[in-house]
Amino acid sequence: MGTSSMAAWYRGQDDPQKAHTRLEALDDITVLDLSYNSYAGSFCTSLLAEFGAEVIKIEPPGGDFLRTCTPYGILHKGEGLNYLTEGRNKFHVTLNLEKEEARKMLADMAAQADVLLETFHPGTMDAWGIGYEQLKAVNPRLIFASITPFGQFGPKSNIRMTDYDNIIQARSGIHYATGEVLPEGKTLDDMPWAVPTKSGPWIGAAPAGAFMASGIMAALYWRDISGEGQALDCATSEAYASFDDWAYQWYQETGNVAERFGNLDIAGWLYCFAPTRDGAVFLGALRLEQWQAFADMVGKWDAWGAAQWKEMAPFMAKAEQEKWAGLVFAETQKYTNQELVAMSVDYSKNGRLAPIAPVIAPIGTPMDTLKDANWNDRGLFTPVDDPVYGPVVLAQAQYKMTETPPRTKWVCRPVGYDNGFVYLKYLSYGPRKLRELEESGIV
Amino acid sequence: MAEATWRNYLENKHNRPAPLKGIKVLEACTIILGPAGPSFLAKLGAEVIKCEIPPLGDTSRNLIPFGDYFRDQGTGFVHANQNKYWMGLDLHKPEGQEIFRQLAAQADIVEENMRPGVLEKRFNVGYPQLKEINPGIIYLSKNGFGQWGRYAEENRPSNDGASQAFAGFAWLSSQPGQRPLKSRLYICDNFGALLGEVAVLAALRHRQRTGKGQYIELSQTESIIRMMSWVWPYQDITGETAMPAGNRDLCVSPADTFRCRDDRFVAIGAALPDDFAGLCRAMGRPELARDPRFRNHLDRLRDDRTLELLDIISKWVREKTPEEVEQLAVEYGFAATRVRSVQDIVEDPHCRERGFMAYVDDPMLGPFYEYEFPVMMSKTPPKVRWSVRAIGFDNEYVLTHKLGKNKAQIQSLYDCGALGKWADMISRRPPADWDGASGVILARDAALPAGKGE
Repeated sequence: MGTSSMAAWYRGQDDPQKAHTRLEALDDITVLDLSYNSYAGSFCTSLLAEFGAEVIKIEPPGGDFLRTCTPYGILHKGEGLNYLTEGRNKFHVTLNLEKEEARKMLADMAAQADVLLETFHPGTMDAWGIGYEQLKAVNPRLIFASITPFGQFGPKSNIRMTDYDNIIQARSGIHYATGEVLPEGKTLDDMPWAVPTKSGPWIGAAPAGAFMASGIMAALYWRDISGEGQALDCATSEAYASFDDWAYQWYQETGNVAERFGNLDIAGWLYCFAPTRDGAVFLGALRLEQWQAFADMVGKWDAWGAAQWKEMAPFMAKAEQEKWAGLVFAETQKYTNQELVAMSVDYSKNGRLAPIAPVIAPIGTPMDTLKDANWNDRGLFTPVDDPVYGPVVLAQAQYKMTETPPRTKWVCRPVGYDNGFVYLKYLSYGPRKLRELEESGIV
Repeated sequence: MAEATWRNYLENKHNRPAPLKGIKVLEACTIILGPAGPSFLAKLGAEVIKCEIPPLGDTSRNLIPFGDYFRDQGTGFVHANQNKYWMGLDLHKPEGQEIFRQLAAQADIVEENMRPGVLEKRFNVGYPQLKEINPGIIYLSKNGFGQWGRYAEENRPSNDGASQAFAGFAWLSSQPGQRPLKSRLYICDNFGALLGEVAVLAALRHRQRTGKGQYIELSQTESIIRMMSWVWPYQDITGETAMPAGNRDLCVSPADTFRCRDDRFVAIGAALPDDFAGLCRAMGRPELARDPRFRNHLDRLRDDRTLELLDIISKWVREKTPEEVEQLAVEYGFAATRVRSVQDIVEDPHCRERGFMAYVDDPMLGPFYEYEFPVMMSKTPPKVRWSVRAIGFDNEYVLTHKLGKNKAQIQSLYDCGALGKWADMISRRPPADWDGASGVILARDAALPAGKGE
């Protein structure tokens, strides 16, 4: 088979358009999500809900504060945009855990659940009588997952501090070394943007959610073997910090602390953002042959002596990186983004070192991404036609799978929307009982 | 109660099983996106056999910050490759492909991150081929653009930085009016690798229930797109491009990083009603918490109001040190931390007592601290046990113990070049002071000269 017939074969197997005809990997699993003001928690249970788990999001009667965490305060049909996307496939109920009867209801549901996820300060659930040890007595198969700023144990675990994404990023050692360099002789008053800079929307919090989803599924696997549930503990800043591939080893080996290096890369060459005639591109050529291919592609094979290069290490020193960056940028500035991308695609077919070629990618806006036909063709932004919120565009289908693909069936629900169904299903509470609970402020 | 659950967790790790005990993973991966995924599974107890093409192996062996190696290894290579077994297997050779197929027949999971079509057409060990010999196989392919669609079919290569660029992630991760910034993390590699394992673990559960394996296709760009939550409905609803805001969180107010008296930095978050009131009291401005413009979070998030608030906070912080703000945060009840460096993490006693900074006593590299899988599991703790090895370091162990090959068969694989070991160069070979035996699983391995098969 040729590459394009291979592509057609895979598409025939895993196109997300067919996802709804496939089975769901977790459709026998019930998850109680007690997370509050936690993107990590919500993202974690979204990942499980995309695989078909019945996730019951339990909020206080006033709703999760996360519903109000939305850019510039913008709402869509009354809903904040983060909660709208991470409420996907979940049932949304209210329960006032300050009240004893509510805690009894929670325990009764936990007795029937597979997973409970919570993000309260350590000790809170215990004090309410619904901590891991207490619920384990009721349901030894329960997987009890906690996501907090500092974790369940260790000297800082008693610090009661809210877990915001920007705090996670600052605490993780990553924010510190990302950003523009302040040149010698300049001050922050001259260049107020040359400071440690955090990344992306909530990338500090998301790793804890994804790690915990992995931990929960590993625990489910173990439970299938042993019959036992267990407690899981994730500290958000540890999860994000653990994505560091080199700075911690560099520090241990040499005592060097990673500092900001702009859009170059302390650990990799050629690996940077480079200016172009109409913007900037990413350049990647970590293998010697790719770096030679780059030199060749911009017509510098002889001038730079690329044929004589033997290994990458000599290019790695700070001064060498800075010197070569100047030479490289002088070349990239001659072209537009699209010209450079086309040059690398062409080089991979016709170049002296083909199929080896440098990696070149335009630096685009998220609007470019949203409109890019490639991602739309791959089902990333197919709108979800939600009965409450109408058609909503959100990111989905992040992995394609042949047997149990993830899918987004609905987005979120207003506060307390699913009380009737969920409390009937799990506790046999009908409308009369539900009214009583509402009147006494329990739901 | 939580104390009872977690008491002596670190001390008891070694007497508890790992959750994925018995799961076998075969890896044909390079750089970070590929290898990081199996490394997560290896810390959860899976047995991972990593196949590198001899004698140079994994490209991320080239990751050396400003030219500094870590005990003669690629400094940036170590993290994504814990607890693995090391094969030097040349998949260009039919004999190498046959060994791969034999290992795949025993495996639960195969992971690769070559460009589309390479495993299928050049190496003959793609999913369509392996499912014939192992129908239960879970096969994960990872790369920039997936297996189909325009970019995949143009055969474009990718890197983490390309994903940061392509997704609009870098655009959003910058200071207003300034150029897009690259994270100092290989964030799309690591995050993509982690999401890949979420899918693998779901597939594993499906296989337990039904006996069926499956194919999983992962694009690192699609992975990072997935977590840029609000950005997509925001752009769809407003028709406007999501704009960078520096350290300010557009969804949380107030939340930003501020310059202190000593030109160091502190991050503050104070959006929950109690946190906001606490911050206002700490600033000596308790009335702000009652101000109708700021009282309600949704109102406060309005661009002009947040900017006004951030201006007030930044003037207040400018007179303080990060430590003073941290102290006030504890005292008054809001969230703050100085912007910590990697040194602060590595040396943090809290991280060590939790075993997040895990002490590894590696037979080949010596002792050091490694990041543990960051989910502590009370009954089945993840464990970092050993670190990277030279290319082909465990060839003899794997071929003897897993495939029952004898000495002559192994030799013939070396002779035809299907099997090989490391090039005699730094970052490919063991450390210069290696004694020729430490870390070797099969003793006779030590008798083979370094560089064999080069």
